[in-house]
Amino acid sequence: MANSVEEIQKAKKTYLMVFAALFACTILTYLVAEWEPLDMGGHGFDGVDATIGLLIALFKASLVALIFMHLNHEKKAVYWIFGGAFVGAAALYLLTHLAVFDPIHDTYFYDGSKPRVIQTEEAAQPAASDKAATATP
Amino acid sequence: MEIPYIVTPRKDTGLYNAKIAIWLFLASEVMLFGGFFSAYVFLRLGADYPWPERALPVLPGLINTFVLILSSVTVVFAWAALKMRQWRRFQVYMSITLVCAVIFMILKGMEYNVKFHHQAVRLKDFTVLEGHLGFEEENGTRVKDHNGHDIEENKIYVKASDLTFSTVRYHNAWVKDIIAQAEHEKSKITLSKDIKVITEPGKPAELIAKKGDALTPKLLSQIAKIHLKARAHNSDLKIAALKEEWKKAKKANPSASDVELSPNVNIDMDALAPLLEDEISAVTFNVVPAAKLQFNPRDIAEGATQSKLRDDTVINGELEPSPMVFHYVDAIDFQNLVMKAREKGIDPERAIENSWLIKNSPFAKEAWQWHLGEVAKLEQRLKDKYGVDKNNQPKRVPNDKERYRLGWKDFIEKNKVELSGFDKFKEEFLGPNYEKRGNATFMTFSLPREQVLHASKFTPAWNTYYALYFTITGLHGLHVIGGAIVLGYYLFCGRKMYLSNPEWLANRVEVGGLFWHFVDLVWIFVFPILYLM
Repeated sequence: MANSVEEIQKAKKTYLMVFAALFACTILTYLVAEWEPLDMGGHGFDGVDATIGLLIALFKASLVALIFMHLNHEKKAVYWIFGGAFVGAAALYLLTHLAVFDPIHDTYFYDGSKPRVIQTEEAAQPAASDKAATATP
Repeated sequence: MEIPYIVTPRKDTGLYNAKIAIWLFLASEVMLFGGFFSAYVFLRLGADYPWPERALPVLPGLINTFVLILSSVTVVFAWAALKMRQWRRFQVYMSITLVCAVIFMILKGMEYNVKFHHQAVRLKDFTVLEGHLGFEEENGTRVKDHNGHDIEENKIYVKASDLTFSTVRYHNAWVKDIIAQAEHEKSKITLSKDIKVITEPGKPAELIAKKGDALTPKLLSQIAKIHLKARAHNSDLKIAALKEEWKKAKKANPSASDVELSPNVNIDMDALAPLLEDEISAVTFNVVPAAKLQFNPRDIAEGATQSKLRDDTVINGELEPSPMVFHYVDAIDFQNLVMKAREKGIDPERAIENSWLIKNSPFAKEAWQWHLGEVAKLEQRLKDKYGVDKNNQPKRVPNDKERYRLGWKDFIEKNKVELSGFDKFKEEFLGPNYEKRGNATFMTFSLPREQVLHASKFTPAWNTYYALYFTITGLHGLHVIGGAIVLGYYLFCGRKMYLSNPEWLANRVEVGGLFWHFVDLVWIFVFPILYLM
């Protein structure tokens, strides 16, 4: 981190450059979302635009963290703390998505009055008599 | 006593106290906002309705992004000024930071205000209407309710002839409101019959309230107390009797398991009856003459002859016509209807043609016909510009939002009304200027109550997108306010510290600045996720 007057003066120039980069990236994000010539993937918003938007946001966030928050030359302890936080956040993300295995997604869970029917291949095939019945007007 | 490591770093960590503390705090913040972003992804992927894309005004969000970026630079410059012992410059940079915080919150406040006054309604066929509700008028002036307030045309009216309150669930504020409404309607609410109950076992029934007693919160509270006392007394007796029965059953069948025993252990209620007190779980009042009472739709489950409030108050009486009247409809959205049609294998366009709105509103029908023409033009333009693939299919086609949603900008496009540049600019922040654009652009529409499936202002109650929007931006806004208070403290109260120990103040500003950068960092993700995607 800059401590002497000369170092701080030099760092201020870097801060201004980062400011310009953040400003430009924000405009770029807006244009990717709104301006047709920069609309990637299919027409309008889609996964490609979302990926580009998030990559730009990630780049901007890295600039803020590295330069403004001085993470580019911090002490080891800070990296451990911040790294730990990201592992924690990733764990939260994964835990949330484990909810897809929640039994609440099984209709039997909230409509237990009806007997549970497990669809087997044989059951899915209509019997010959059924076919005949359906064919009859 | 001198506090160690406020200026010099500790040898083991290489950091001074406040810095390690702020990083630990920021670590918890990363997990907090990480959890919310995770919830956003989860709810968006699992949404059973078309996720609102770009539903928020982009310009205020964009300006706020610039404002926060600028404030991030000025706060780091303020720290640099302190390191170089330039107090005046520190004041200037920190003041700009605080001005940025104020601008950010003003824009956010404007955005919230617009949402809180914007109405949405999902019809039973899943068509969504958005717009602004009108107020009841008579001879050109607004009608006032019993409290002297304007009446938004989104009330449910019941001609109440009697009311039954649940003594444990009644909501005191609603009782007071019902009394005030009845007075306003020149009706009286009185007890339908005597309340005579046994309050002490073995003694004769006691008269608690007489038929004809007026409804008051005090009377209800008195009845509720007697009921609760009786209920507590009776349950104590029942529990004691049950325990006794259980002991007897256990003694008689020591080898039986609890599961085997339990179906056969019962209380002899006849034996217990003389010992019980009377419970008064509900109490009925007559409304004479029947009064037209109004309720907020969210508070009532209405029925043709009987309705029920959320506090279990039952209202007997005819349901009066209670339409939801839009003074201006500024969006018609068929995306949800189309989603449902596709699930059933129905052609979306046919489903729209058969929708209740198109069949019942000539304005909506005309707008939809116009919109179909616009979509066809867009299809052609995309085909001309981007061509077709090897299967002769257009490479780019309009998306569902363009096909099935008529937003306020579409209505403006359809019915061009010239506005000044400033008025147009304001529309980007506050939404359409209804007064100047008028009913030729935005239709007036009276929606029968029976067509309403779900209605709400654009608040967390509308859908999970808005629930997340208000949670994330609200929490972020609180961080902006908190950060501004801390930075403001350094600016307005830091002079003394600067004179005695400038490095200490510089360290404090660095720590406050780290928090401020984190607030900016969160917004860098919030802006694209909530405003652009």
